[in-house]
Amino acid sequence: MKSVVVAGGGIVAWSAAAALKRKLPMLDVAVVSFEPAADALADRIINTLPSIVEFHADLGLSDEDTIIRAQSGIRLGTRFSGWADGSADYVHAYGSYGAALGGIPFHQLWLREGHRSAYDCYSLSAELGRSDRFASTGPKDAQIGYGLRLNIDRYGDLMRAYALHLGATERAGEVVNVELLDNGFVEALRLADGTRVEADLFVDCTGPAARIRSRVDDSFEAWSKWLLCDRVSINEDHEGALLDDVRATPNGWSSTCAAAYAGDELGLAIRQGRLSEPWIRNCVAIGDSAVSVEPLEWTNLHLAHSQIDRLVSMMPGKDCAPVELAEYNRQCNAEADRVRDFICMHYVTARLSEPFWKDAASVELPPSLKHSLSLFAERGRLPYYEEETFTRDSWLAVLFGQGFMPRRADPLAYALPAEEIENTLRTTRGSIASFAAAQPSYREFIAQMGQRTRS
Amino acid sequence: MGDEGKLNVVIVGGGTAGWMAAAALVKLLPTRSSVTLVESEAIGIVGVGEATLPHIRGFNERLGINEAKFMAATRATFKLGIEFRDWARKGDSYIHPFGAFGRGQGEVDFHHYWSRLNEAGAPVSPIGEYSMAVTMAYANRFALPDPDPTKIESTFNYAYQFDATLFAPFLRGVAEGLGAKRIEGRIIDVELDGESGNVAAIRLENGERVDGDLFIDCSGFVSLIIGRALNEPFEDWSKWLPCDRAVAMPCRTETALTPYTSASAMDAGWRWRIPLQHRTGNGYVYSSSFISDDDARSAIIAAVEGEPIAEPRVLKFTAGRRTRSWVRNCVSVGLASGFLEPLESTSIYLIQAAISALVELFPEKKISPLDRDEFNRLIDLEYDRIRDFLILHYHATERSDTPFWDYVRTMSVPDTLQEKIDLFRRRGRIVKYREGVFLDASWVAVYTGQRIMPEGHDYRADLPPVDALVAGAEKLRAEIAAKAARMPDHRAHIESYCPMAVAA
Repeated sequence: MKSVVVAGGGIVAWSAAAALKRKLPMLDVAVVSFEPAADALADRIINTLPSIVEFHADLGLSDEDTIIRAQSGIRLGTRFSGWADGSADYVHAYGSYGAALGGIPFHQLWLREGHRSAYDCYSLSAELGRSDRFASTGPKDAQIGYGLRLNIDRYGDLMRAYALHLGATERAGEVVNVELLDNGFVEALRLADGTRVEADLFVDCTGPAARIRSRVDDSFEAWSKWLLCDRVSINEDHEGALLDDVRATPNGWSSTCAAAYAGDELGLAIRQGRLSEPWIRNCVAIGDSAVSVEPLEWTNLHLAHSQIDRLVSMMPGKDCAPVELAEYNRQCNAEADRVRDFICMHYVTARLSEPFWKDAASVELPPSLKHSLSLFAERGRLPYYEEETFTRDSWLAVLFGQGFMPRRADPLAYALPAEEIENTLRTTRGSIASFAAAQPSYREFIAQMGQRTRS
Repeated sequence: MGDEGKLNVVIVGGGTAGWMAAAALVKLLPTRSSVTLVESEAIGIVGVGEATLPHIRGFNERLGINEAKFMAATRATFKLGIEFRDWARKGDSYIHPFGAFGRGQGEVDFHHYWSRLNEAGAPVSPIGEYSMAVTMAYANRFALPDPDPTKIESTFNYAYQFDATLFAPFLRGVAEGLGAKRIEGRIIDVELDGESGNVAAIRLENGERVDGDLFIDCSGFVSLIIGRALNEPFEDWSKWLPCDRAVAMPCRTETALTPYTSASAMDAGWRWRIPLQHRTGNGYVYSSSFISDDDARSAIIAAVEGEPIAEPRVLKFTAGRRTRSWVRNCVSVGLASGFLEPLESTSIYLIQAAISALVELFPEKKISPLDRDEFNRLIDLEYDRIRDFLILHYHATERSDTPFWDYVRTMSVPDTLQEKIDLFRRRGRIVKYREGVFLDASWVAVYTGQRIMPEGHDYRADLPPVDALVAGAEKLRAEIAAKAARMPDHRAHIESYCPMAVAA
């Protein structure tokens, strides 16, 4: 493998180019750039998950680069409002919830105690978010996770500049034709100005239209029987607090930076689902061209990053041997399907009376989600799935938050005396509250980081 | 949230599986189970599972077992891996270590750099010389791993080689101390409830009837409940794992006390060698389609290194497992649920996996099919992954010198394994699973040891210049060798840490 062409002009394309040049500098990487598609969610949704911080660190970018220079905000999680009639709001925060005791998972202690305080009282990130304070690391046994709220223009500029700095080249121009060889491999892209761009591998970051990949194969697995939203609206305004509010609406949900809903003529149309095989021959789809999913849990850019990491670490030879692609596709598909499950879980555990919500809650579950929910309903145990994006803490935060409770606590939790469990829970709540109270406000934190960066 | 009282758990059989299960339940679920174990002193235990995997340390820790006491009681030695001799070709030898190659850190696995140096024709040592565990093993040295993850002495793990006939009594002490009841007696009948089909009770020879809510079948190969009474079918895997007999014969230890188990290929199977403090276990695992019992017996007698301390004893088995390990209110653990030859020391691991899954999915009186199905799913996964790993050892051979080796070399293997082999051969990649007992380094050890060499490597391994890689690899090799040389001799470490009591 010697040369790679990345098609697309948004964050995803430039991130792919930067990662390829940073990790595999022996490759020639050219970006065929043009305006990102309006429905390319990974290029346009400003909210991201904690994995973005690792992605940056891996690329040699610091929080100072992304938070100060590219003017990103910080986000500790999402507050869900009105997802179940009669239930309080809850926070799905990143990082840990409580800590295990004597080998017994924390949530089993919480269940055993009778869950007298809300589950998110045991998350330091949630507490920081509610009190508008921030720290990037917590004390022992209380892990903080944070994602970023991107300033799309600034961040796109940063990633483009970084990719070019690392040696990627740019060819501005629309793709007007994809030239295929007899064996189905892509030979070259024809641009609007008549130039022809050849490469060994073509990385399609062009959004849901998959302008290159769709010429090779477009078998698609639609998720519409599980995820009913088919419209999205996006607001790239980058102001926001540490916690985002996601409110249920009569036919979907809405937040300050995005909304998704069903059966409305307004907004951008989306078709949720994934390609059957994201990588075929010498053409791989990354981001929305591979997976299109509503931005409910802000997974769009996360999935693209994860696919980019996989592309780098599993780069095949020029012949793109099927045995190598099969493992890549297996991992990508497993990951996408579990994101689908996690999002679908929000709807099936919501308890609202509007027709949309009744329909959304009564879909026939994908088998893997059915497996997870039925085991959970029994004793709060979640089975392990390969390539899972969301941690057990995240699953639990949403399930408990929505009031979806298991029939009983795990028998293991009964091995400990009730007083010991109660004490542990009380101490955990207390130390979270006192740690949070001692941290600077979000604004102060950013100001201090800004001073350090400039000095 | 129901707190509905205790389940009466009846464990049938008191070997390693039975007493491990009893000890775990009384320790971990004291408020949910009352445990009765039925065993007969007249029935011997199979007890070939003398070599273990590192997972057993977690089991012991959870039970609060003191390592040195346990090792002294079971006359145990340390185990850093398994040596395979003569598998791909006669004269070959490699160790599958419990530990990493290289430092086990960094985003590109060490073996990619190693492959690159091989492809470039650069000077490079066998991959085992870049493994702390392998180097210690060959030098007969042992020290506990360093807790500091930046040190090379932290890059290995260890297990034990012990006398399985002493492990069960040791655990019996633990279990009885925590309230497990033991009943002596031979089981003559299993009584099923006419309506539900559940096991209602077992009947003993002396007329006693033992009833329970949950039965754990640890009866070994006879599979008294799940096999005989509940007729759960057995999935036969002998087309891939044709060995169906073993002849075992312990002997005195004549040579150094090796901190590893050996598995030497033989004409119609392979031979184990497991050094304990007081003796060395030996056995020939073979296929009766390819060699007679008499010839196998002669072969083991000829092969043992020291004075035999018992007559050769023949065991018969079939590779495979029950379709379901948990049926109705009976959970089978150990040999009652299935058998995989001890090539990778998985027997006790499989017992432990079943017990962990049972503890995690411990039922109520009315057993939920969800818990049962999940248990069976987890156990199947364990069996299937180990099965593939075992088949790899046989299939990835160049030997055609005996009909047995010719058969395994040319047999067709499960698709799941063929894909793994193809992927490694192509570019040194390991099919990625986080779950399962054998992780990447184990697969790398066996692939390369069995002469499946990758045709390519991870592109990122091309970044450093060859000279720098050669120098780095040599520095690593020298550091490992120097660190190993400073560690105590294996026997000396045992004598200071966990010597067995002098025989009375």
